[in-house]
Amino acid sequence: MRRTMTVALVGLVLSFVLAACGSDLGGGGRDGEVETAEAEGEAGGDLFVSNWPFYIDKETLPTFEDESGVSVTYREDVDDNNVIFTKLQPLLQDGESGGRDIIVVTDWMAKKMYDLGYLQEFDQEAVAPAKENLTESLQSPNFDPERAYSLPWQSGLTGLVVNTAEAPDVDSISDIFDPKYKGRVTVLTELRDTVPLVMKSMGVDPTDATGEDWMAAIDKLREAVDSGQLRDFTGNSYTNSLARGDAAIAIGWSGDAVQLQADDPDIEFVNPEEGCILWSDNMVIPVGAPNPTAAYEFMNYVYEPQNQAQIADYNFYVTPVAGVQEILDSQGSEAAGSELVFPSEDYTADCVTQPEPPEDAAEEIEQEFQSLITGGG
Amino acid sequence: MRRRRLVPYGLLGPGLLWLAVFFVVPMFFMGIVSLESGSLSEGFALTWEFSNFGDSLSSFDTQFLRSFLYAGAATVLCLLIAYPLAYAIAFRGGRYKNALLLAVIAPFFTTYLIRTIAWQTILADQSPAVDVLQFVGLVADDGRVLDTAGSVIAGLTYNFLPFMILPIYASLEGIDKRLIEASKDLYASARSSFWRVTLPLSAPGVIAGTLLTFIPAVGDYINAEFLGGPGQAMIGNVIQSQYLVIKDYPVAAALSFVLMGVILLAVLAYIRFAGSESLMGEEAK
Repeated sequence: MRRTMTVALVGLVLSFVLAACGSDLGGGGRDGEVETAEAEGEAGGDLFVSNWPFYIDKETLPTFEDESGVSVTYREDVDDNNVIFTKLQPLLQDGESGGRDIIVVTDWMAKKMYDLGYLQEFDQEAVAPAKENLTESLQSPNFDPERAYSLPWQSGLTGLVVNTAEAPDVDSISDIFDPKYKGRVTVLTELRDTVPLVMKSMGVDPTDATGEDWMAAIDKLREAVDSGQLRDFTGNSYTNSLARGDAAIAIGWSGDAVQLQADDPDIEFVNPEEGCILWSDNMVIPVGAPNPTAAYEFMNYVYEPQNQAQIADYNFYVTPVAGVQEILDSQGSEAAGSELVFPSEDYTADCVTQPEPPEDAAEEIEQEFQSLITGGG
Repeated sequence: MRRRRLVPYGLLGPGLLWLAVFFVVPMFFMGIVSLESGSLSEGFALTWEFSNFGDSLSSFDTQFLRSFLYAGAATVLCLLIAYPLAYAIAFRGGRYKNALLLAVIAPFFTTYLIRTIAWQTILADQSPAVDVLQFVGLVADDGRVLDTAGSVIAGLTYNFLPFMILPIYASLEGIDKRLIEASKDLYASARSSFWRVTLPLSAPGVIAGTLLTFIPAVGDYINAEFLGGPGQAMIGNVIQSQYLVIKDYPVAAALSFVLMGVILLAVLAYIRFAGSESLMGEEAK
């Protein structure tokens, strides 16, 4: 009896050890060709989409299911690029996606996953109807000039979210360093949002900044932390700090400002005079996606201006689909007149698409920024 | 006869199995990961990188020190609050004893996370609580409470308080009241009867309570995350950022081991210093 149990225990432990030897973490790097996710025949079956919260209205999915005969599992399980990546990485490493057909991630993360060989390229014929409606400015971003493996879900602006009752004349990024607002400023934990904006305030163009420029901007943030000027680094929770009145100025995202305004009309998105950061969250098809055909059907569906209008009217982010403004206008929606949903060229003239740190210094920059956030010397 | 000898092993079985599968095995893997080197894109390989341990301690010594300071301060505060409370419930609770105990554990009915986030509102700059603190001069007029060391320690104290109260209560409750009466019969004053009878008899509860509070508090990251700013990050926040953001799995694993080792040493020293004698009385000598 006792011996049997010992044997069973040892066996159990051994089987875990063996399992571990077979699946080391990491070790990507694209070896060989990238697969293309081919569409086959009529769309049907099940579709599994992973997206960020508050990104879709209640009507779109049921209508899509009725029209296409595809049954959709829509999970709002992405709320941080790094977290979803770490969660899925062991699966993707083995060519699995955990059943997911579409994942929505920000530009830089889409590129990172592609470079690691975790994504499939699109079947260009199958996705052609959607790309036809893709707004011109988003057709060839730096990270994926052909839109070979990514299609925007929504885009947005990173700038200043301000409580105008307490900080009335904020119009520049430099205002976050104004001693008047000491201890009432928060910035984002997203390296690619916060640091480029600070570089802009220092007169550096973040799109061709050197590693030293990035480090100098992080140093400037460090001084602000040490002097007590900066209160905290936050994710989405800066919205709570603003609502409570703890923060007067935050680096934040355009769509959030609109949602906060509903509660507190004093809160406004300010596009700083130095310009803002533009980004998109993209639909991508991971390796091992079980039903790419349905994925294309879904992409084409949400890219029909009529359907997209419904989504844009709900989330107030920048829509990537051309022709939506006219539809919203005819429906009398206030989204039609908003610079945040339909930014004019003038409005975004000084804005840049979210820049990447230079490759040779990227690791050092990421470490330095994280050490700042987690209070290291 | 033979059967009876097997019974203890049978009783140990489920616990051992659980620990083997969910503690020993994961620890083993973490041990392997902590000795790897490489990066996510190039892959991690087992290179017996023992320097991971030293590096993680020296690069994050500030946060290690801070974690121990915050956890230590929270443990002392918990003890100061919990002992009188447990004493009152055990000796003066009367028929309200059960109701009072229920009140102690009632916060557990709401999740830890929600309670901690609620503290953000309680300690917000314009909250009544902070107004009062400013009025009595504990906080400067232009000062704040949220996102300071004070709010993180307060959060830790609040969240771990029941873990201090319950063991102390249990050991006070178990004291034979006749011993206290005996000390009074021998002309001990109330004070010396407390110091020489009650307190030593409740020492096992105090030690259990301090351990149950201190150990999880050192590794906590929720309180620093929600109630602190960048200057209050604890070692748990560093591990989180190394694992989820920087994705340096070996350093994150090494940090966990170093933390475990340091806690183990601290606890051993503590038990040796304070524990054995009061836990086992004269026999330990």
